[in-house]
Amino acid sequence: MIQYLFIGLILIGIYGLLTQKNLIKLVVALNVLEVGVNLFIISVGYVKDGVAPILFKGVQSTNETFVDPLPQALVLTAIVIGVGVTALALTVVRKIYEKHGTIDLDEMGSESDD
Amino acid sequence: MINPVLLIAIPLLFAFLSVMFKKADKGLLTIAVLFNVLGAFLLKETEVIIGGWKPPFGINLVIDQYSIYALILLNVVFALSVLTSFASIKKYSTVLLVSLASLNGMLMTGDLFNLFVFIEIATISAYILSTMTKKFRGTFNYIILGALGSNLYLLGIIILYATVGTLNMADMASKIHLVNSNVLMLSFTLIFAGIAVEAKLIPFNGWVRGVYGNVNDLNGGIFASAYATAAIMMFGRLFTSVFSVEGNLKTIFLTITVLTFILGEFAAFSQKNVRSILAYSSVAQAGLAATLFLTGLKGIAMMQVANNALSKLIMFTIAGAMYVYAGTDNVEKLQGLFKKHKLIGFGFSVAALSLIGLPIFYGFYVKIFALTNLFKLNSFWLPAFILFSSLIEGIYFIRMLAKLWNPGEEGKESKEEYTTKLSLENTFAYTVLAVVVGLFILYISYNPEFITQGISNYLSNIAGGM
Repeated sequence: MIQYLFIGLILIGIYGLLTQKNLIKLVVALNVLEVGVNLFIISVGYVKDGVAPILFKGVQSTNETFVDPLPQALVLTAIVIGVGVTALALTVVRKIYEKHGTIDLDEMGSESDD
Repeated sequence: MINPVLLIAIPLLFAFLSVMFKKADKGLLTIAVLFNVLGAFLLKETEVIIGGWKPPFGINLVIDQYSIYALILLNVVFALSVLTSFASIKKYSTVLLVSLASLNGMLMTGDLFNLFVFIEIATISAYILSTMTKKFRGTFNYIILGALGSNLYLLGIIILYATVGTLNMADMASKIHLVNSNVLMLSFTLIFAGIAVEAKLIPFNGWVRGVYGNVNDLNGGIFASAYATAAIMMFGRLFTSVFSVEGNLKTIFLTITVLTFILGEFAAFSQKNVRSILAYSSVAQAGLAATLFLTGLKGIAMMQVANNALSKLIMFTIAGAMYVYAGTDNVEKLQGLFKKHKLIGFGFSVAALSLIGLPIFYGFYVKIFALTNLFKLNSFWLPAFILFSSLIEGIYFIRMLAKLWNPGEEGKESKEEYTTKLSLENTFAYTVLAVVVGLFILYISYNPEFITQGISNYLSNIAGGM
């Protein structure tokens, strides 16, 4: 059931991307969306009462159910990529600020074509 | 015979080396692109297992006729673009090497999540490349849309993973019929939306005007031919071999792709600048190729991709050079430019006429082939739309060519005094590119076997194979 919460996060992110005019807030909305997707991926691999799928020598596990480790590995990659994109986006926001003197889309005016 | 992994590994290795040896970066870039062209021609059909984990548990690279064709096309246009515009590389050689590695990876990988990683690396390099002309708002639009698209794609493949339990493309294709149709509809829609951002389909292509419309001679060729080829070939791989779209969903997707090429042509028709015209023309061509892929005419779509990649390579490189050396790419201000640079004008004109699909050019062969096969599939609306859009395309391209060759006002005799004062500089490389690729387009117009023998598997089952 908790997955609905994560889908809610994704929808909040999309809502933010559609409504915000401030460039920093757009980047934040993108991050909310990414967190929602990542949490959703983790939840896909969750098994109730599952343990980490690691076998230790000499330890007999009474618990036969394991969580799926693959989604966790995928999320690790997705998080790294998300950080990279965020850093790049913030750099571009800074460049826009240097050029236009504002980070609000309405105040910026149109970019000249030439 | 060459190990396909090297096509990804060598550019990546050189990208790291180019950070350490800053003075040799352009040399490393040249070696890497030439190596990749050579490597792409030496590839044989095979399957490579990465890391010793057998598929479907591990990642594999799939090298079949489809990916060999795409890789040759990609690496050749990439190399031509880089070598022609060597002066514009400046400090971007590391980024170019990373993008080369990831574009090769996108076309080879047999794993859906690995594809996501390569798409992300390729788009991050594309964001950085698009800052070359310092139009940061276009870049920002691209970042937001690109990141949203790849997250939707990721969500789509995870929903499929949760139901099918695999991320391997071949394994997925064999098990996809077991999945509930509602789940399929949700995940296909998400994946389509994600890929459509890169493939420039209509509701997701808001970034194209800002990025393609502000390119210089280097990243114009890279975006419009290398990136466009990789994105649309990846679209073709996913929506023909892996996911079979049926029923209402197919109708919706086809509507989107058909709207893409019709509205793309209309948008190009109303533009005044060469690069903006070409940007919307790229959107339209992507829509046409996606439509052909979705109708199952895979071989013809592949030929169309080659037509677009070769033509757009010449046109975007020259349009970028106009911006760099003449300071503008407004058609009105550049009247009669090709009178000063006749050979460049020759290549540009051949490319434009081939894109329209005029007889005796390669594009005509592709379009007539597409139309006859669509008729044989009992489809009558699609040929009508394709012909209608070709008509609009013909009008705006010929109007642009007429202005660029003949100074003067429309409907009046051309006069020398209208000829632009602007001209291009350092034209040697552009002339060589325009003449070589222009002659190559003319060559394949008369010998289409040069292209079709490489994709015989995908043409053999098509009705009326020529």
